[in-house]
Amino acid sequence: MMMNASKRSSVSARKTRRPSGRPLPGWLAFVACLSALVLGLVGPDASAQAADDAPPAESAAPPPAPPPGGYKSGLYPMPNDAETPLAFMPPGSAATPVPSEEIYPPQTITIRFNHKKHTKDLKQTCKSCHAAAFTSDKVADRLMPKAEQCDACHDVDHSDLHDVKAGTDANGQCVFCHIGDKAGEKGSVAPMVLPNANLVFTHKKHLDRNIQCGQCHGQVGELELATRDQLPRMAGCFSCHNMSGAAQGQAKGACTTCHTARNDGRMITSFTTGNLVPPQWMHNAAHTPDFIERHKSVAANDSAFCGSCHTTNECTDCHDGRVRPRKVHPNDWLSIHAQSARQDNPRCASCHQAQTFCGDCHRRVGVARDTGSGNRLTGRRFHPPAAEFTTAPRGPNHHAWEAMRNLNACVSCHTERDCATCHATKGLSGGHGVNPHPIGFRDKCGAAFARNPRPCLVCHQSNDPFVRACQ
Amino acid sequence: MVASGLAALATAITAHPRDARALDFEVQSDTAAQAYQVASPWGDTILDRRRLMQTLSLGVYNLQGDHVPGRADFAVVLRVRLDADFGINGHLGDADRGGETSYLTEAGPGVRFVPGLQQAPVDLMYAYVEGRNLLNGWLGFRAGRQYVVDSLGWWSFDGALARVTTPYFVQAELYGGLEQRGGLPLSTSRYERPGVWRGNHAGFGTAGDQPSVTDFPSYQYTQPAPAFGVSLESNGPSWIHGRLSYRRVYNTGTSVTQQFPDPTGGYRTAKGLRVSQDRLGYALDLNKSDLGAIKGGVTYDFYNQIVGSYYGGVEAYLGKRATVGADIDYFVPTFDADSIFNWFTKSPITTATARVWVAPTQRLDLSAYGGVRIWMADGDPETFGTEQCRASGLCSGDQEIDPSNSKTFTRDPDNREISTTIDALANVSGRYRFGTGEVGLRGMMQAGARGHTGGADLSGEKRFDGGRYRVGGRVSVYDWNDPLRPDRGATSFGYVLGAGVRPVQQADLRIEWEHDMNRLVGQRFRIVALLNLRLGG
Repeated sequence: MMMNASKRSSVSARKTRRPSGRPLPGWLAFVACLSALVLGLVGPDASAQAADDAPPAESAAPPPAPPPGGYKSGLYPMPNDAETPLAFMPPGSAATPVPSEEIYPPQTITIRFNHKKHTKDLKQTCKSCHAAAFTSDKVADRLMPKAEQCDACHDVDHSDLHDVKAGTDANGQCVFCHIGDKAGEKGSVAPMVLPNANLVFTHKKHLDRNIQCGQCHGQVGELELATRDQLPRMAGCFSCHNMSGAAQGQAKGACTTCHTARNDGRMITSFTTGNLVPPQWMHNAAHTPDFIERHKSVAANDSAFCGSCHTTNECTDCHDGRVRPRKVHPNDWLSIHAQSARQDNPRCASCHQAQTFCGDCHRRVGVARDTGSGNRLTGRRFHPPAAEFTTAPRGPNHHAWEAMRNLNACVSCHTERDCATCHATKGLSGGHGVNPHPIGFRDKCGAAFARNPRPCLVCHQSNDPFVRACQ
Repeated sequence: MVASGLAALATAITAHPRDARALDFEVQSDTAAQAYQVASPWGDTILDRRRLMQTLSLGVYNLQGDHVPGRADFAVVLRVRLDADFGINGHLGDADRGGETSYLTEAGPGVRFVPGLQQAPVDLMYAYVEGRNLLNGWLGFRAGRQYVVDSLGWWSFDGALARVTTPYFVQAELYGGLEQRGGLPLSTSRYERPGVWRGNHAGFGTAGDQPSVTDFPSYQYTQPAPAFGVSLESNGPSWIHGRLSYRRVYNTGTSVTQQFPDPTGGYRTAKGLRVSQDRLGYALDLNKSDLGAIKGGVTYDFYNQIVGSYYGGVEAYLGKRATVGADIDYFVPTFDADSIFNWFTKSPITTATARVWVAPTQRLDLSAYGGVRIWMADGDPETFGTEQCRASGLCSGDQEIDPSNSKTFTRDPDNREISTTIDALANVSGRYRFGTGEVGLRGMMQAGARGHTGGADLSGEKRFDGGRYRVGGRVSVYDWNDPLRPDRGATSFGYVLGAGVRPVQQADLRIEWEHDMNRLVGQRFRIVALLNLRLGG
């Protein structure tokens, strides 16, 4: 009841400040103009001073001061900046507690506002203040209420933002809503900075489908101030937007349904606030510092997902690259790479075709066995002495163990002929008959021969009984 | 020729008034010049590499007109590359001038010749027309030279691919064409399975001044390789994704088999259609955004009749800023089915690691993993007896099998038990990002019976004037040792200094100077200059 009375008096006072619409009486206008003319002749400053010095009728009473320590409510989502319960947060906040700065650039909120009071106590709806959202079809639309809209209840007049008139009630003072010690001083308040989200979004389509505000923004009506924390999370969007292509239905699941896109269909990922990267939970693709070692499982599973942001060129820079990528191979790689190949770290075959990429250089520098005679380095031997590494008997340093453990490393220098020298059968095949086959080979050789007899015929003659046994 | 044509086309396109165009274009040029020296393992500087790589990309998007999300769209893209090394032949004297790429020199035929080596090869990296979201999103296609990336690896072919996306949580791909193979026009060998050395035999012949195939019996003729594949892929739910892939590639034409001449001087060959690769792969990813994830993949090689690889891992999300996990990776080398190496005894390499990632602040994040790499061999090197072969009754010597003996060969099972050796490995990496720069650290260590490698890189970059200028540096220390080649162990110190400028939004120039030093090769230098230009997009 008291509140209603106060409201009536505020409204009444505001009406008295506003122009009534009736013109001044003629005689009063004439006297005022004459006075101004006289004062103007006496001194140009005098008229202005006279106007400024004349105290407004209502300034006699000082405006109501805020309570000691200032206003406390509406400064944070929860009173005293307590942690917001997850149940009130937007869907998906469990996975992403803080919204991305790349998508939602930082904001500067310079007012306090208690949503809970307005919705619970004052029975306002979201639409009461954010009606523009219901017709908005792009992120650049202004969805915050105009300040004038507050005037319906607050004792203030925002009709001219260059000359806002505070009322007599506390709720009409600048500092009632605007934050800052000097809020309202000299008629100015700190500006709100609410950058557009880097998204493609239409509120209208969602609202037309009866998707309510809380389904994306969480229970804002339970909170005091709404901040960036109340902006939707991608994990929440995925509760509907989880289909792509023909399966997508109304809630399309393609990345560029929501994310801004380049002409080639890839997402724009570079923003002034940073580079957009997948969240921790998406396809195991968090771009952590060790992602270069982990990314193969992501690409093997869903390379189209990688292609949402990356061009093929970015992949080929390493996987078919001609400039050594430092993030893969460190400095002095030419010296290190032999030991790295032996330790299979990183795996050479991931990016290189050993017989050409490795072999061409090894033949030029004389490391390969089938190098031209002019390239051979006299008196130099890459491997341990032949008696230890190459020929029988098979001791601990024999090449057979190395071949069994990491045959790829052998193949980066050696061609078939090098191995057939010993491992081909005797006679016409030209070898020494050292059998390199594994246990269980006989069970497989029939099917293998039927699919491709060529490797068999490198070391065996076609009439070889071993080959016949496999035919 | 191709490059200049594309450049002219690009100019014509980009000069077109923007308001009048219905299509979207992007033209990109990447130039990389590198100069460095390659030393032999014994320290001699023997190759001067003077490399120039030039790629030119063209993309024309939205051929249908204005892009409407969800509606059909069409695009054409291509990228060509020149990868020249003007250092090839550069180190050769008068007697063998040009000998690396020419068979006949004054010093004699083939003394420096490297079959297949080219000084300035040009390849078409990709070139295809693509359609997406046709038939209300049911159909997509690509036609031309293109990549396929899945659990079977990074692969390229010339042909067509069709993708059918259904509303029933699954999409299918079917493709067919010819595998990209080195030696064919505008092609590289990058996408062939390993184990076979193939290439262009242009200039080969039987005349005395020509290289003969019998001079290089392991160097196989490149022939077109028909290929096809199919995949089934899940579609829709974000918490699960799986892809089943199958691919088969054939070798065709004539291939030299016998590596040594028969008494008449001839070499035997194999002809006809035969399998090159025949593999199946599956990869799966499951995640729950507030809990963790499971991922895994496996490939099966039908020709080798073995599981060629598998990997798997679990991750737990400890809040938004920490993840712990464990991974395993199993790999057996398999090769092109033309290769004899498929049928050599070979063992898997298995790596098991545990991993942690933390991001104490938004600017700082750190990753670390460590574990073991397990090597296997068929038998124990320490106890393997010299009598094994002889005891089998097949050998004429300690290890030499008598081919005339038809007795079934069985090695002593006691000496075929799997023996393992284990390497310990660890990796740590981190980065600190601030508004205008980044500092990064990467360290690694692997040590075991096969020697050790360990070291770290510390790198940093600072941007000025809104990113217009950049300077960066990298310092590294690495140490390695191989017990099989103790004289090859060394400690290396190196640094890189770099600077870049972006004079306009469409251009980016960067220059790097690298200086490495170790006891094996002394001082070594490398200079790299990179220029990227982009229009449109």
